Parts: sequence; structure tokens; C-alpha cells
Amino acid sequence: MKRHLAWWGERALLVLVSVIVLFPIAWMFLTAFKRPRDAYSLSLDFSPTLQNFVTVFADPWNLGDMVLNSVIVATVTVLIAVPCASLAAYSFSRFRVRGRKFLFFLILSTQFIPAVVIVLPFFLMFRTLGLLDTRLALIVVNLAIVTPFVIWMIKGFIDAIPTDSEEAAMIDGASRLRVIKDIVLPMAAPGILTSSIFCFILTWNEFLFALILTRRDAVTLPVGLVSFRTERGDLWELMSAAGVMITVPIFIMALLIQKHFTRGMTAGAVK
Amino acid sequence: MADVRLVDIEKKYGNFLAVPQLNLTIEDGEFLVLLGPSGCGKTTTMRMIAGLEEITSGDIEIAGKRINDKPPKDRDIAMVFQNYGLYPHMTVRQNIDYPLKLRGVDRAARTRRVQETAEKVELEALLERRPSELSGGQRQRVALARAIVRTPSIFLMDEPLSNLDAKLRVTMRAELKHLHHELGVTTVYVTHDQMEAMTLASRIAIMREGRIVQLDTPKRIYSEPADLFVAGFIGSPSMNLIDGAIAGGVFTAPGVSFPVDQPDRDDVVLGIRPEDLEISTAPDAPVIGKLYALELTGESTLVTLRTGANSVCARGPADHEAEINAPCHFVPKPGARVHLFDRPSGHRLDGLSAKGQTL
Amino acid sequence: MLPYWLLIPAFVIVLATTIYPLAYSFVTSFREWDLTKQRRPDGFVGFDNYLHAASESGFQNSLWVTTIFVVTSVALTLVIAMSLALLLRRKGRMHTFTRIVLILPFAMSPALIGVSYRFMFNPEFGVLAKGLGAVFPALEGMPWLADPNLAMAILVLTDVWHWAPYMTFMCLGGLASIPRETEEAARIDGASYLRIFFGIILPQMKGVLLVTAVLKTIFALKMFDQVVTLTGGGPGTSTETLAFFVFNVGFKWYDMGYASALAWILTAIMMLISIWYVRMLLSDRKMATA
Repeated sequence: MKRHLAWWGERALLVLVSVIVLFPIAWMFLTAFKRPRDAYSLSLDFSPTLQNFVTVFADPWNLGDMVLNSVIVATVTVLIAVPCASLAAYSFSRFRVRGRKFLFFLILSTQFIPAVVIVLPFFLMFRTLGLLDTRLALIVVNLAIVTPFVIWMIKGFIDAIPTDSEEAAMIDGASRLRVIKDIVLPMAAPGILTSSIFCFILTWNEFLFALILTRRDAVTLPVGLVSFRTERGDLWELMSAAGVMITVPIFIMALLIQKHFTRGMTAGAVK
Repeated sequence: MADVRLVDIEKKYGNFLAVPQLNLTIEDGEFLVLLGPSGCGKTTTMRMIAGLEEITSGDIEIAGKRINDKPPKDRDIAMVFQNYGLYPHMTVRQNIDYPLKLRGVDRAARTRRVQETAEKVELEALLERRPSELSGGQRQRVALARAIVRTPSIFLMDEPLSNLDAKLRVTMRAELKHLHHELGVTTVYVTHDQMEAMTLASRIAIMREGRIVQLDTPKRIYSEPADLFVAGFIGSPSMNLIDGAIAGGVFTAPGVSFPVDQPDRDDVVLGIRPEDLEISTAPDAPVIGKLYALELTGESTLVTLRTGANSVCARGPADHEAEINAPCHFVPKPGARVHLFDRPSGHRLDGLSAKGQTL
Repeated sequence: MLPYWLLIPAFVIVLATTIYPLAYSFVTSFREWDLTKQRRPDGFVGFDNYLHAASESGFQNSLWVTTIFVVTSVALTLVIAMSLALLLRRKGRMHTFTRIVLILPFAMSPALIGVSYRFMFNPEFGVLAKGLGAVFPALEGMPWLADPNLAMAILVLTDVWHWAPYMTFMCLGGLASIPRETEEAARIDGASYLRIFFGIILPQMKGVLLVTAVLKTIFALKMFDQVVTLTGGGPGTSTETLAFFVFNVGFKWYDMGYASALAWILTAIMMLISIWYVRMLLSDRKMATA
């Protein structure tokens, strides 16, 4: 009987946890489909509308531009960071070169630097170069937080791959570069994909850099949220619609690689 | 085909000397087994031959050519790894084909040779599978096929059977032996399993702490172990080793007395294999003690007695029965060998080194 | 040479995007530079900017706010993450579902989290403000974000909501690496569940919990987005964390010299924590191997 109680208690707790996590997200999704008037009521009885999405994509909000900025900035950052990080991670993982520990520590320790420290000089530099409010500026600064993180993560994945296959390939007649291309990359592909998605999420959600470095042309989605705070007050239904636009692509990615995702979260950190 | 010569090779990891000044010549067509407990340097030695590990000093020659600085791919070797080292993202066919592809063999020849090799190791039906869809024994065969597909001048095998279950290991052992006979390629084989070493090797090099303790044929290693380490390592159950002293031409220890043809001295270890002892009722038997344990192995019974601080084991008939703690006597079988070792150094005692003493 | 060639691209990026700016702001922290007045930095003023920080109430306030935020958020996150990990480690369909659900908060934009909690705690039409008021009459009509203490509590809440799931996965990883046998042996010996947790699980989780605690501390010190979108530092300066304060000095008042000095103080705090962390971890390793 007691065991029965514990069993139900555990299920109840699981439900509670899921509700606490899902509720804020669900509420935002609901609000995104409400008319402005309904948004201010707590009633679940409303007729859903797509009007908010139409509004945010139209003038003056032009969410489409922000989506484009976010997509470009995140994609380009991933395309630069991940290949470079993969090579470095392989080197850190497989070779015992002089100064390796120091270099690795140096790269890791940059993770502990607050973003404000990095963005100050960049703000001044981009101001001089006339690069403020450009996607290029955002990409450069995003590389700063993303690259060390991705090196760390991919190294965790490569460390977990046994070296046997690589050695076999070298004996079979492959050069080191050939080994990387034929053996390491295909074997590390799930890890590299996971790291890419992590990298994409970090960049996509990045707020501080975009807040400081963009004004109008290069504004990304998270910063775009702030613009729905007007003199007429906060436009919650529009904010929610924009929130849905930020959230949906990321949720899809995270859920697609769900298994690797949790492994990626703990990769490196636990070791 | 080729011979391999290791001349004064040395391997250091930082300050740790893994292999000091090793010399070894592996003859053309030979099946040489490097045998020893884990951490004895046998795998390091093989990996130095493969070029996967740099040598700190010394020379490695294959077929008379110094290959110290050549990368693995230019050494004309093939290797079978303990965990097989298969390419998990390739099919069995692609796995076997990969070394040929890297060497630029033309497509038609490649298809033919992959097919032939697959037949040799009975993998024809599995060519389109991935390694993850194979059993341990099948993976082992793929690793083997990948090694033999391009007929290298040397095979290196690093504990290739250690991940297989006991039954499969015996079957694969016979296959390896047959394959070596058929191809005649010089083979270096690393294992910690003395049974594998005994059954496969033309010669065994027993290693300990980076040094070769004894290099000889399996037969001689069994019958004339060079020191206490080899004596205890080879044979199952292992040789009885009894501490004692020689006085007046008799080796004595509590409950043990053997006539030996040696001058008087202390600190001697007498070794005698369980299969060289038999159970007796003779009151003047050389080994007398109390029965400690009976273990039936199937074809025989292992009888262990205790006397003083020593346990002595003999291989008796399968139907032997007795009470635990009852008095128990062992006598050497006709033609049995006793081995004498110097306790401090562990070396086999001079004058016996050639043959051992036959009783 | 190959190992080095492989490192070069990533190293150039790290050098250019972090080491260089770090050095630049270090130098700037010793200069006078009001961006509203001059385009180029003025002369060096020695430690003036740092001394200014020591005597300025805004900085002291932000230090205090940050301490409260970090301590409560780290403690709550750890306790919740560890509990959730224990709850989730068994197999089962509902366990799996909850685990998948837990991926979502980490994937959500922190700025958006701030916005949606602001919405939900709006005293007039916020669903949580109204809902909590309906369930607990004592909370009816609370000013929520307009109250300094409550605003801090909600800020901590959003941060815990955001990070506890991530940390749960780290704890789950740690739990998975504990050999089942010790726990099973203890259960057979008749130890109670609490006894098993404190006597067997917790000691073996020490290393993982330490890593989790330090990572969370670092993340909490860096936390910025929700301050902007949830409280804006207010009411008053009651939720002005150090990171937010640096941002204000730099990009509202454009005092670059002072902002750089503050940024470096924040960096120094983080560095000290990370060094301490590496030390703890190393001594823990030694104990584990001994």
C-alpha cells in the first residue's frame, strides 16, 4: 500500500514538473493567437486569430527583417566556428604537443569572461570602422563566445571515439588528413551536428551583443522583442507572436536531436 | 614477406621508461608471440613496429631497411586491433576495400580481391552489413579480412581474440593458425593468454617490465623456463614453486624433500609442474601434507595439499576421491622434471639450465 | 607540425575576439574616456577608475544585488536540479516525457523568458499574479515587479526556471556514473532512502555537484538578459546586477574608462572563482585516485 502511494506520488511530481516547465511556454503560445482584447483577460475561451503574426511582419515592426538577420548571423557564425573548432578539438584530443594544456586552458578560460568585457572594445572598434549596426559585427562578436564553447564540446565527443579505427586507417595506408576526412569526420558527425545546433541556439538567443551593437538594420529577434514596449504600453500579443517566432525553430532543432542534446549538455562538463 | 629487426629500441614516456634497450629479431615467415602480463611493454613494442608509437632511440628494420621515420602507411604492414578498429560508418565490403582503395588499386581488381578475401574468412554473405550489425566473431573476421586483403609483408595482431567468448576464441585460434600456414606471412602477435601463445607461436618472447625474459619455442619455454617469472607464468595450473634449501644433495622445505644433483645452498626455489606429480600412499613420498582441496576439471582432478606455508598441486585421475584434511602424499611421475631457481635473482640455477633435472 | 596547423584557425578567432578585446579594455580601464565628450581616449589616470568604483554607491549596490542573486539562484538551482535528477533517473514513459520537456527551457531565449514572466506577473492581467492571488488570498493584489524584494524573487525564479533543467541533466550524468552495486548493497543492508542518499549518493556526486555549482555561479554572474527584459534593473536599483550596471555605465552614460574598470572587476571575480574551482576539482581528483 505504501509502495502504491510512492508510485502515485512520483507520477504526480513528474506531472507537476512538466506543468511548471510547460506553462509559461504554453501561455505565450496561447497569447500569440489572441486578439489584443483577449490578451488582457485570463479566459481560455477566445477565438484564435493569426492577426498578430500578420501585424508583426508588417510595417512598422517588420519582424521579417529580424528573422533574416537572426538566420544569417546564426548560420554564418556556425559555419565559421564549427569547422575551425572541429579541427582544433581534434588536435587537442589526439596530439600531445608542447603547450597543449596551456592553450586548452587559455581557450577554456575565455568562457569565464563576462560578455560585457568583450563587447566594450568591440563597440568602440566597430564605431571607428563604421560597422555598428551590421550583421558582420554581430558575427564577429558571437564567434567570441561560441568558439571556445564549441571546441570544448566537440573535444568531448571526439575523446569518446576510440582511436582504433584511426590507427587502423593509418596502417591501411591513409595520411593523417585522409584519416580526418574518411574516418574522424564521419564518426564524429553526430557530435559535430549536436555542437552546431548548440552553437546555433546560443547565437540565435544572444541578446547583449545585439542590444549594444545594433540599432535598426541588423536587429535580431531577441532584441526585437524590446521594441514592442511602446508608449502605449507593452503589446503583449505581438510580443508573444514574436516569441513564438523565436522559439519554434529552436524547439524543433532541440527536439530533433533530443538524445544527443542531453549528452551534449553534459559532455565535457562532467569530466 | 620480410624479417623484422629491433636494435636497442627504447621507449620513454616522460621519465617513465616503458621499454629499455630491447633487441629482437623476427625471422621471415615466423609466428612470433609477445607474451606477458598487462603493462609489460608488449603492446608498446608492437605499436613501435607499426609506427603508431615513436621510438625514443634505437632502430627498427623491416626486410633490412631502417624504417624509424616512416609513417605507418609506408611500412607495408597490416594490423588487427584488440577492439577490431573497424570503420563503423562503412559496410563490411567498404571496410575490406579501404586499404586497396588507398593504395590506388583499380576498381575491377579491388572487387575481385575483396570477394576472394571475404570467401577465405567466410564473410561473403555479410558484405553489405555494417559492423554494428555483426557479432563479435564476425567483426573479428572483418578485421582479419581487412588485414589480409592486400598481402602485406608483416602482420601485427594486438590481442585479437581477447574480446571473444571462450569457445569462439578456440575456433578462431585454429583459423589464425591455418591462415598463417596458408599465407606464410611474418606475424607478430601480442597476448597475455599463455594458452594462445603456446598454441600459435613458432617462438614466444616473454616480456616483463619492458624486457624480454625468455625468447624460445613454446616447447622449450614450457620445459625449461629461464626464471621464476616464466615458470609461474606458463602452464595451467601454474608450476608449484616451493621455497627451501639444499643440504647434502637434498632439497628440503616443510613437508617437502627432493633429492637433487646440486651443491648445498640456501634461498632456493624448487619448481615442479602439477602434471609431473601423482598421488601416492608411499610413507617416504617427497611431498607430504594434508589435503586442502579437490577440483574436478573433467579429464582430471586437481589435488591441492598444504604443508607448512606451501600449497602443492598435483593433477590426479578424474575419479580420485579423498577426505579434506586427510593426509596426502605426492610423488613425481617417472620422467618428471624438477626446476631449481635462485630466490634472490629468480634465475634458473646453473648446471640445470640446459635440461632441468629428470627424475 | 600538423597538430599546430589544426589549431591555428580556432586560435586566431579566440585571439582576435577575446584576448585582444580583453587587453584593450584592460588598458582602457586606466584611462579617462567619456564618449559623449571625446572621440579618442584621454590620458591615463592610474587607478582612478577602480578607486571610483570603491567609493561609488551604484557599484556597491550592484555588488550587493549580484551577491544576493548569485547565492539564491545557485542554491535553489542545485537543490532543484539534484532533486529532479533523483526523480528522473528511473526509466518509464512519464520520466522520458518529462526529460524531453526539460530540454525546452534551456533552448528558450533568456530575453524572451524575461518578457514572458513580466507578462505573467503583471498585477492587472498577469496569469500568475492573478492565479496566485486566487489560490493564496494573502498574495492577492501584490505589486510583484514593483516591489524590490518580489522583483528580485521573480528574477531568481526566471533564472532557476531557465537553468535548473540543464543542471538536472548534468546531475543525471553524474548519477549514471555511480555504480549501482554500492547503492544496492546498502539497500540490502537495510539502509533507509535518506540514509542512502546522504551516505552513498551524495558523497559520490561531490565532483559533479562542484562542477555544476561553479558553472552555475559563472552563469549567474554573467546573467544580463532577464534584467533588461524583466525588471530593467528596477524598481529603483533593486535588481541592478553588476553586469547590468557595467552595461549602464558603458552604454547609457558612455563612461568607457569606468565601464572597463568595472568589467575587469567582474572578470577578476569570475577568474578567482574559476581558479578556486580548478583547485577544488584537482584536490578532489587526487582524493579519488588515492
